[in-house]
Amino acid sequence: MSTAGAAVDTAARFRKIEDTVRATHGKPGAAYWIALAVSASVFAFGAWAYSLIVRTGLHWTGLRRPGMWGNLITDFVFWVGIAHSGTLISAILFLFRARFRTAVYRVSEMMTVFAVLTAGLYPVLHLGRPWFAYWLFPYPNERSLWVNFRSPLIWDVFAVSTYLTVSAIFLVVGMAPDFAALRDRAEGWRRRLYATLSFGWRGTDEQWRHYTRAYLFFAAFATPLVVSVHSVVSWDFAASVLPGWHSTLFPPYFVAGAILSGVAMVITILVPLRKAFHLEDLITQRHVDMLARLVMLTSAIITYSYATEILLSLPQPATDPERSTFIYRMTGPYAPLFWAMVTFNCVGPLLLYWKKVRESAAALLTVCVAVNVGMWLERFNIIVTSLAHDRLPFDWRVYTPTWVEWAITFGAFGWFFMLFLIGLKIFPSVSISEMKEEAAHEAHQAALEAGHAH
Amino acid sequence: MRTEPGILATFDEPAAAARAIRVLRERGIRDLHAGLPAPFPEVVAALAKPRSAIDYVTLPGALLGLVLGVLFPVLTSLSWPLVTGGKEIVSLPAFVVIIFEVTVLFGSIANLIAVTVRSFLGGGTGAFPRGERFNADRIGLFAAGGGEEAERVCREAGAREVRRVA
Repeated sequence: MSTAGAAVDTAARFRKIEDTVRATHGKPGAAYWIALAVSASVFAFGAWAYSLIVRTGLHWTGLRRPGMWGNLITDFVFWVGIAHSGTLISAILFLFRARFRTAVYRVSEMMTVFAVLTAGLYPVLHLGRPWFAYWLFPYPNERSLWVNFRSPLIWDVFAVSTYLTVSAIFLVVGMAPDFAALRDRAEGWRRRLYATLSFGWRGTDEQWRHYTRAYLFFAAFATPLVVSVHSVVSWDFAASVLPGWHSTLFPPYFVAGAILSGVAMVITILVPLRKAFHLEDLITQRHVDMLARLVMLTSAIITYSYATEILLSLPQPATDPERSTFIYRMTGPYAPLFWAMVTFNCVGPLLLYWKKVRESAAALLTVCVAVNVGMWLERFNIIVTSLAHDRLPFDWRVYTPTWVEWAITFGAFGWFFMLFLIGLKIFPSVSISEMKEEAAHEAHQAALEAGHAH
Repeated sequence: MRTEPGILATFDEPAAAARAIRVLRERGIRDLHAGLPAPFPEVVAALAKPRSAIDYVTLPGALLGLVLGVLFPVLTSLSWPLVTGGKEIVSLPAFVVIIFEVTVLFGSIANLIAVTVRSFLGGGTGAFPRGERFNADRIGLFAAGGGEEAERVCREAGAREVRRVA
């Protein structure tokens, strides 16, 4: 290939990247509308179910002493976990210069923001008087009362709200050059919207000079934030004295679990997305393969965490509450959920060792959906079984979620996927500018190998 | 919008644009501005512009967050000194999370303000004549004050199009 030929190819490749991403904003087909209608309906049903609690109280839930945290807090922890991989993929892998992140980080970032928006609902949803949720925030009031900064629940408020703010800034700032590229060929409301969201971006070297530096700082801020947020969530439990919760293992265990569930969710979304929107040229099998390996790695960490918890408690005396709780988890009324969790989170991902499984969309999707179910069960196991089997045997009681709680749980999935489906039609689902950078790099490498470049 | 004369060249390939920039700089033409669909490292390196000073806004923002993150829980705890959980009224270990989160929040907001002012609003104006944009598939290079020599350099480097702008 001549240098001129390579140049033409580079420009053509740039156009193709832009056209492929632009095509995702085209007129939606029937499948899209069906998916959106299903998501919106499930969300609406969940919202209506929640309205029962608002109107007549928490008796609609299965919450009774000692199990005062159930599905709703399980959902909160689950969605915070889902929110983690976006920043992991976009920020941490950016700092480590992992090139495979380029094609997949935008979807992950969108997922992060929508998942935090979902998670943020739950601390409010599980309140008896949700209209007083603003009491969680410190604000000047006539009685000079302030929130208790020594409580992990207030740490949560700060951690989750900071995470939402920083993730949203990171997402919107990261999309500005792409919005500018889309703006230049858009019409009507899209042009106006993209013109606003591109913040006057023209792609000058002066803009890139400041932008790339700022982006580096956003990544540097977001990276410890990823670790902190789920560590803080884990302290909601670990800072108490309840057997099954009071463990120094919790922060790394929760962070690894969050990454496992988040990456599994990214794959769950990416596999159908790349097929439905014909993104196979941009999000290649290699990208999916790398994510599948990340699932395997984090699954190994999770398996180690499960084993550590159990192996440290079993040698304790028979009267030890910690030991009692773990035996209860493994053999009590919640045992099927515990063993399902182990199967989905520890055994299932081992299948990804085989390349054939990683390359089969159906097999990969099955493993990742199972991991998502397994991770939801993990949170249920931690929260519910520990509360149901506390230090006071006369207090023990099995918690069963009611249909209202299940409706809210599934309603959150409806809310998340509804936001995601709408987002796909507005936001560029792959980073146009970074893909162009990658394409230019590949073209230059190819030219170097062919001995044409200077 | 830029009004001074010069030459505006467009390139398909970042490497070609970088070659042109290097030669132009060697020949003393240093008022160069590029328009890029992506931050191509070779072009940015060839322009040899100083590193962005955005740090001078982001770091103080983070430090302000650090100070507020310490003062806020300490002062509010002292204003309502109620012992909870057997902890000290001023329990700095328990406040570390708040201090960290507020530091990150203020640092990020300061970073956002800095990138908005310096990049989004400030960096786009005046660099190119007649509102030229290069967000799609070409790389633009404007050599302010460049004449025939600049034109020749750009063509030799592989520019797709070179034109003079008045």
